[in-house]
Formats: sequence, structure tokens, C-alpha cells
Amino acid sequence: MPTITWKTSETESITANVPVGITLMEAAVRNNVPRVWGECGGCLSCATCHVRPVGEWFGRLGFPNDMEDDMLDFTEVEREDDSRLSCQIKVTEEFDGLVLVVPE
Amino acid sequence: MTIWKPNDDGNADLSSYDSFVTGVPHNTFARMRKEAPLEWSEWDGGEGFWNVSRHKDILALNRNYGLLSSARGIRMEDQTYEEYLARRTFQETDPPEHTRVRLKVARAFSKSTISRFEDQIRQICIKILGRTLSAGEFDATQDIARQLPMRMLGRILGLPEQDLEWLVTKGDALIANTDPDFTDHVLDQMTSDEFRMMPFNSPAGAELYTYARQLMREREQRGDTDGILHMMLQPDESGSVISDREFRNFFCLLVAAGNDTTRYSIAAAIHALCHQPHLLCQLRKSGSEIWETATDEFIRWASPTMHFRRTATRDFEMHGKLVRANQKILLWFVSGNRDEEAFNNPFNIDLYRSPNRHLAFGQGGPHICLGIWLARLEVKVLLQELVKRVATIEANGEIAYLRSNFIGGIKSLPVKITAL
Repeated sequence: MPTITWKTSETESITANVPVGITLMEAAVRNNVPRVWGECGGCLSCATCHVRPVGEWFGRLGFPNDMEDDMLDFTEVEREDDSRLSCQIKVTEEFDGLVLVVPE
Repeated sequence: MTIWKPNDDGNADLSSYDSFVTGVPHNTFARMRKEAPLEWSEWDGGEGFWNVSRHKDILALNRNYGLLSSARGIRMEDQTYEEYLARRTFQETDPPEHTRVRLKVARAFSKSTISRFEDQIRQICIKILGRTLSAGEFDATQDIARQLPMRMLGRILGLPEQDLEWLVTKGDALIANTDPDFTDHVLDQMTSDEFRMMPFNSPAGAELYTYARQLMREREQRGDTDGILHMMLQPDESGSVISDREFRNFFCLLVAAGNDTTRYSIAAAIHALCHQPHLLCQLRKSGSEIWETATDEFIRWASPTMHFRRTATRDFEMHGKLVRANQKILLWFVSGNRDEEAFNNPFNIDLYRSPNRHLAFGQGGPHICLGIWLARLEVKVLLQELVKRVATIEANGEIAYLRSNFIGGIKSLPVKITAL
């Protein structure tokens, strides 16, 4: 199982082993990562699973499609160029070591 | 002291609006969660339906819009295809069509847009409470809980103050169309099918249609381009616009849905404060951090939207039962929110409950409440201002529940307070 880290503040983070095949939103919810609510269950209705992949990880996770891109305009913390909705990304073996910032 | 105890025998008829007039039949839901998590109900007013009562199952099914469609109706009542087309809003669609409409209105209801209303909400609350609390005795649903969402609806849609009382009365007639206190055209006692093409099969739908049309005409003449209504009418990127009928249905949805659910959340919270004075103490003595969890706990406790219905798109098996294509399935959020497997002591109010993965807003699926941030903010600010002003609050007579198996709420809540 790949190991994934969510940086939740300057000094705090949550690291967990995550099963392949679930989404990064589901992984965050299971591990009680603050501010990743995933209220719509991954149906692109709520924009409450906003994360920013650190550095080169952004390109390695693929890019948002049009609907995700539109929905990213409604995140609580304003989007950046590397913002993603984590419900749209499925975990693969290649994600081992992934670091995500949870914007605050 | 308990806030309230369910008094049903564990076998309430969930198809009957009358099963809910003394409160939610929670003994029935508790039995179903334990013994029959997927149970069939017969209904003498139409086709029977399946009931889903466990938190886990509701979450799993709510997101599976390919299996359980919203595009065949979202309440227990059956609709013909013709009626469905005439009355539908984006609530009665599935992704990706649903997502396209949702994106049009998402900005108006996003957390960052809504948070800008906080000061306005607070001013309205201060006004409502200032006027009401001095009486000492009053109906907390009518005089407090009903007032705030009605006034905020007016602000957000840009409607004239003098129209609000009329609009909310009509909104009530739509959504409480099974309660004779709110409509002369009670759904299960209607003798005519004259209004079947109108929202909620209600003549109030026709009146709101006319109002919405006039409103937009006047706005166009003035060149007014503010607000959600204008946003709805703009073409999307592909150039498509919503039809006149879709617009009017959406207007009815805003008037109905934006009102009563927040009202009944506030009412349930005040009712709880009446019967568990320690909650009032906790809220008063705690710092601001308690509001991060207390608001959602009150909303879980209230669960005003008790269910939404879906329709199976194909046969499937669950808990050893066979659900057939085209059968109706009711997702009972109100039951999921009392599920012992999902919450510690679900029948207790724990103002610090965290995480609190309740389903009161239809969480876990594409149709999660559009007004979620507005509702939370209204409930929070109203209770914050109330707590600042009352020393004690107690029940002052019989309460009355809405006659509905769809929306659950205390429609009359006599209370007595002493001011701080």
C-alpha cells in the first residue's frame, strides 16, 4: 500500500498507508484529515476535498478535466495553479511517497 | 432529562403522513436498522417502496446515481413522465446533466460567497430576537425559526420585503402539501388532478410561477443583473440556456427548500435547549470553538429532510433481497443520523461531536444540499445571538409536528424565557 502524507499546517501532517483503487478524498476522510470533507461523495457537487500536490507530484497525478476545473472555482480557500479536487484522483501504486497540502 | 422519546410501536407505516404527527417513529427505524435494513413498504396511495435505514447503506447508495436515479422523482409519490417533465428541477436529474446546472448556481451558494452574508444574518437575528424575546412567552417556530430563513431568502434573491410573508406561505403550501395547516389542497385528500403539472402538485406552484415570471420581466425592464436569478438565466459555455419552465421550477425550489429545513433545524435546536438546560450552559460558557461542532450536531439532531427517494435503474440484490428495476427506494437520512453503528450515543446531543458524518444535507451524493453553507451559518448565528440573550428557556405547552413523511419538524413550539 502506498504511503501518503497530508500536510495540514506548517508543522502538522498526517501520514497513512492507503489502499490502491480508492480516491484521495476517500483516503483523507478515512484518516480524518481536517478540511477534506468530501461532502458529495466524489460527485463533483461540493468542492470540499481541495488539495495541492507538492512540487512535481502535480503533473504526475494527471490534470483536472473541465468539470473539475469549473468546480475548483468554488473551493473555500481560493484555488492555485496546482489545486485539485482529491475525489477525482484514484490511488495507484505509483503514489507511494505522495505529499499533499491541505490549504487553510 | 430526555428531550423527547419516540412513541411508535416499532412498526409504523412509513407511507402514512400521520405516522409522523407525534414525531419521527424512531422505534421503527431502530428495528429496521437492526433486523431489516432493506425493508419493503406497501402504500395504498400508489406503488410501494423499499426503505434503506442504515448510515453505511445510505452513503453507499446515495453516490451510486447510475444504479439509483433521481430522474424519476425524488419523493414517495408516483409521477407520470409528463408530470415529471413539467415539474422537474435539477434535483430530478442525474450527472452529468445535474452537474452542468449545479455549476451555474454553485458560485452563489459557495462557502466564500455565503460567508459574506454573516453580518447581515447577525443584524437580522438581532432584530428578530429584540422584537420577540421581550414578550417572554411566544411560539419559537413561528416567531424566531421561521423569520430568519424567510428574510435571508429575500436578501439573496433580491425580493421586496413586503412580498416575503406571501412567498413563504406559498413555499410552505408546496413543501408541506400533506399538512392541512399549510395548504387547502392536502395531497392525499385531493379530489382533482388539476395541479398535477405544477411543482408539488400544488396550486401554490402556479402562483409562484406567475410571480417568478413577473419578477424577471420587471428586472429585465430595469436592466437589473444582480443575483442568483440572473445567474441562472445566463447561457453556459456551450450557449445553452434554461427554459422558462425550468427557471420557474428552480424559483419554486428556492422558495420552498431554502426555507422550511433551516426553520426546522432552528426549532429542533431550541426544543432541545428547553429540555436539556445544560446545553444552554455549555454554549454560553464555552469559547467560540464549540460552534464548529455544535451547529452540525443540532442539524444532525433535527434532520429535517427525512428522506429522498431514488428509482432503481436495474435489478440488484442487497441484504438478501431483490430490488427490481423501476422500483422506488427511500434513503432515510433521519434514520442514518441515529445509527448506533455510525454515532456514539446517537440519541444524545453532544455539542463537541467530531467527526460528525451526519447525512442531514444528503451528504455522500451529487444532490448534497446546495444551501448547506447558508443553512449552517443561519443556524449558528441565530443560536449564538439567542444564547447571549436568554438566561433560561423552557417549554410552555404542547408542541405540534408537521404532517409529513418527507419533511420533519416542529411547526408549533410554545416557549417561555427569562432574558439575561
